[in-house]
Amino acid sequence: MRLSALIATIAAIIPLIALIYFVIVRAIPWLDAELFVNNPLDKPSGISNAIFGSLQLTTAAILAVSPIGVLAAIYLNEYASPRVASWSELVIDVMLGVPSIVVGMFAFMVVVPQLGVSAGSGVVAIGILMLPIVVRTTQEVLRLVPSSVREASLALGVPVWKTVIFVVCRTAFSGILTAVILAYSRGLGETAPLLLTVRGTFAQNWLDFGTTMNALPLTIYSYSGAADSRTLGQAWAAALLLMVLALALNIVVRARTVNSRVA
Amino acid sequence: MAFNITRSRSLLSPDRTFRAITLMAAVTTATILAIIFVVLALGSIPALTASSFVDFIGTNAGPIFGTVATALIAIAVAGPIGILAAVYLVEFAPKRLAVVLTFIVELIAAIPSVVFGLWAVNDLSIRLRDSVEWWIASTFGKFIPFLSEDSNNPAADSVFRAGFLVGIMIIPLVVALSREIIRAVPISLREGYIGMGATRWETIRHVVLPTARIGITGALMLALGRALGETIAVTMVIGGSNDVPGSLFQPGSTIATRIATTLPEANPDVKSVLIALGVILFFVSLGLSLAMRLAARQTAKITASVK
Repeated sequence: MRLSALIATIAAIIPLIALIYFVIVRAIPWLDAELFVNNPLDKPSGISNAIFGSLQLTTAAILAVSPIGVLAAIYLNEYASPRVASWSELVIDVMLGVPSIVVGMFAFMVVVPQLGVSAGSGVVAIGILMLPIVVRTTQEVLRLVPSSVREASLALGVPVWKTVIFVVCRTAFSGILTAVILAYSRGLGETAPLLLTVRGTFAQNWLDFGTTMNALPLTIYSYSGAADSRTLGQAWAAALLLMVLALALNIVVRARTVNSRVA
Repeated sequence: MAFNITRSRSLLSPDRTFRAITLMAAVTTATILAIIFVVLALGSIPALTASSFVDFIGTNAGPIFGTVATALIAIAVAGPIGILAAVYLVEFAPKRLAVVLTFIVELIAAIPSVVFGLWAVNDLSIRLRDSVEWWIASTFGKFIPFLSEDSNNPAADSVFRAGFLVGIMIIPLVVALSREIIRAVPISLREGYIGMGATRWETIRHVVLPTARIGITGALMLALGRALGETIAVTMVIGGSNDVPGSLFQPGSTIATRIATTLPEANPDVKSVLIALGVILFFVSLGLSLAMRLAARQTAKITASVK
């Protein structure tokens, strides 16, 4: 019976190996300089619009969301009564289970009519998906900071706000960074909400959030069934980039969680 | 841990200001979540009042069927594999190996779903068609039309393959949640049973799994919620047909794929129907997620009562 459990474990891992192998083998022939420099409209074509589009969208979203998320977590952990904290924890946990397509639909109904089909709408949609991740992870990290640290600081006459910023947050800094990285990597891979808000474009867009932008997931999605081998190859290359980014960020997160004392 | 001491009487003291800033952030978060809830709830009203609810289900039977079918297939794939793998990781694997294997399984969860979709379109789907699907169709297809092979089916599209793909994608979630739950079963329970002469496997079978049953059910519910909402990977392999397919091996659609592919260009009538479908998805996944939390609380109570 031990054998059947072992087989199940192996079965759980096979897809990962098959997937990584396939993406690497298919993507490598198409990794050239043009891929990173040129747009789909250039000759030879590239996917630089998608690469830098993804980075711009996700970075804008994380910059907007992480201050709110971290501060909200500080309030819930340091100030709120245990009752309020445990309720909000439940609500945020439940929100984490909401499918990203539903959040995309919400953005389509509420944000797109205001901002139009644009990078800005995409940033809002991705930001909404990141917010609960930042809040919950930061909250978990802050909870691991021992009360004795706070008490020591307060006993020395340090005001509460300085204690929270310079003692609690500093102790938990590495963990808070982990929360932000985790949310960033989740945001990079989101496709469905972008499909409803940003839609993609062939043009390069630098920091103009009022018009449409492209993103790696959108390129992979729209190129996935291409008959032309160069286009399909670029889908694999985009998948490799996205996968390497997501895996690298997650490995960084895990390495941090193992090494640091807090979180 | 809560700081409730007010040190200064001045309204503009740094302490009050900082507290107010964090409170504002918390309120902003809560407001965003509340707005989502209210907007989605209101958005469904036009579609649900225009015709009766039964009619609504009838006219949208295709995507509703596809959503339920893919999610159930996914659970059938991920449930047994995920739970057994969790049992192996907690009960049998040497500690170092368990750490490495857990790490690898969790990495699957980090891979974006669109990458899974690309892989499925170009590789997995074709393999599944020629192996599992072919075997089921040639064994049961003759007696059950619902499981018969569709001879003129294009290469990469069927409800079954979409469900199988989602199953692979939710394995890490099932492993992670089941592992936590199995680990929470008190050692004293196991020791008692082993002390009476039971083997390791008998202990798992008769003590560990029954104790963890509620928790594991909850884990499967959460995984089901994830499977129901999986969008982009499913869109890429399910085929996009709006009708209820005659066989699991024919193209179909799910609520999520319908929204992703048709919402941007939909006319107002279709739009309100799609939004109503999305709202159903929202509330079903909310319900499953809540059920999971409650089940987890229940298991914690049982294990705590033993300790």
